Amino acid sequence: MSNSHIVENLKKEIENFKAQIKIEKVGKVMEVFDGIAKISGLSDIKSSEMVTFQNGETGVALNLEDDAVGVIILGDFSKIKEGNEVKSTGRILEIPVSDNILGRVVNALGVPVDGKGPIKASKTYPIEKVAPGVITRLSVSEPVATGIKVIDAIIPIGRGQRELIIGDRQTGKTAIAIDTMLNQKGQNLICVYVSIGQKDSKLRKLEARLEEGGAMAYTVVVNASASEAAALSYIAPYAGVSIAEYFMDQGKDVLIIYDDLSKHAVAYREISLLLRRPPGREAYPGDVFYLHSRLLERACRRNEKYGGGSITALPIIETQAGDITAYIPTNVISITDGQIFLETDLFYKGIRPAVNVGSSVSRVGSSAQIKAMKKVAGTLKLDLAQFRELEAFSQFGSDLDESTKKQLERGKRAVEVLKQLQYAPVKTEHQVVTLYALTKGFMDDVPVNKIKEFEASLVDYSERNAKVFYKEIKEAKMWTDKGEEQLKKAIEDFKTSFSTR
Amino acid sequence: MTSISNNDIARAIYLSSKDKSPSEMHQVHEKVINFLVRRRLISKSSSILLELKKIINSEHGIVPANVFSAHRLHEKKEKNLVHFLKKRYSAKEVALNPVLDKTLLGGMRVEVSDEVIDLTLKNKVEQLQKYLTRTV
Repeated sequence: MSNSHIVENLKKEIENFKAQIKIEKVGKVMEVFDGIAKISGLSDIKSSEMVTFQNGETGVALNLEDDAVGVIILGDFSKIKEGNEVKSTGRILEIPVSDNILGRVVNALGVPVDGKGPIKASKTYPIEKVAPGVITRLSVSEPVATGIKVIDAIIPIGRGQRELIIGDRQTGKTAIAIDTMLNQKGQNLICVYVSIGQKDSKLRKLEARLEEGGAMAYTVVVNASASEAAALSYIAPYAGVSIAEYFMDQGKDVLIIYDDLSKHAVAYREISLLLRRPPGREAYPGDVFYLHSRLLERACRRNEKYGGGSITALPIIETQAGDITAYIPTNVISITDGQIFLETDLFYKGIRPAVNVGSSVSRVGSSAQIKAMKKVAGTLKLDLAQFRELEAFSQFGSDLDESTKKQLERGKRAVEVLKQLQYAPVKTEHQVVTLYALTKGFMDDVPVNKIKEFEASLVDYSERNAKVFYKEIKEAKMWTDKGEEQLKKAIEDFKTSFSTR
Repeated sequence: MTSISNNDIARAIYLSSKDKSPSEMHQVHEKVINFLVRRRLISKSSSILLELKKIINSEHGIVPANVFSAHRLHEKKEKNLVHFLKKRYSAKEVALNPVLDKTLLGGMRVEVSDEVIDLTLKNKVEQLQKYLTRTV
């Protein structure tokens, strides 16, 4: 570009510029500490309004007091000095959103942090929004295929549902979330992963894994890492759900994962205590319930008249020593539509995913299950429950009658079938075939240590030899007598060849 | 325990000393000081006084305004400004406090309590800088 051209451009730009003259409300910083600022002035400010500091940092007004405003600083507070000017903006905190955000890692303010350059944003969305009302909603009826057998069969999740994943540290909570995201390839579900107070190294690993599985193409990661201010951890989930709402407003289905809300509550506790709000149980502030309820209420399924689309939320809560009766876990359990309960004991017994089937429930998901899955999984939960009871009982005596023995053997095989490796999601049709074989007793004479091998080969064989069954499941979501006959025959044929191996 | 704000104290002082004769005023002052000592609020007295001043101003319809400018304002300009402020804040009187600040380059900046009207050249140049360096 020649010099004269640059000058010409600059001239044009300057001609286009109009200085804005307006009356502004200005406050002064009275004190700054630990990411909090007390500000005098700003007489007309609203609650959760955005303010800007002299050096460009933004803040959110949380405490409106008689002669001061308590503001949380979103960013570096070390450069803010006493006496600095603070301007109110008249706007609630908002983040830039656009379709280009897919495949990117952003921070809680929507600024990309993955080093792939700026994101061109067409719109901004406020981070706080009232959840959709009753008349705009639709009940859950479409499934979210997680690809995890035990979940899809026993604790099914529907689009628009809020299902809590709860368990101690190192029990595979994030693994379930990641597997679910990996399984959404070609399922028309956009994923938003909100990482709250996690290690950056963990997130990096996770992102690489998603990239490898081709899941980043339909995923947005919102990161508020452990090294950032508590204020950013506090707003990250709201920013995440705003991104999800942007896609829902286009009529799309979205899955959002909050990993994890216990750290979110801790970040909010920190802010509240610094703002001198009165502490309650476990030093959490009085509105810690509302903190999560208003967030999770924004997950919904809207009817066509109001634009359609859905947001499915999978919040994660970390418990201490399996104590689900602590304050935050009980709160979130009561808000969500069910929970997936992971246990350390099961994990170390080798039952992975370590889902405790007895304590896990899905209150609305069963209506979202496809008919075929409902049919095969119906007796599975009962089988497993009976097995657990008999297993404890059978340890006392050795003389068991035939039917009890049979139930025990069936239970052992069910547990074996529901085991699954990480990053190995199973297609719905394959799940139906496996569970069909299990619940109809085709696996009863297969040795327990050979179940995994049997399952893998059966899926392979049946796909080739029971095409009608597969087609029916894919299209009509349920088999007919013709398909069932074909599958039965395929399984029997396969068994004879398997036993001679 | 609910704490009393400086504003509350200042208002109480104002109301109790309103329309009092000089001898009564003396008594009021004594009581105020006793109260401040008893409640250990002496350290806050300067901010209480500031609040008191605000209350007296608002009760008497006086609007204090700080005017920052690079050069001394013309008399006519000042008159216009006072007229404008009187109308805007429906005040009986405007107490202008002119402050000279060379760094403003030109124009002026009017501050009335927490409202600011910035008409300085410095502000305009800063806005231009922001406009030219914005991300497109």
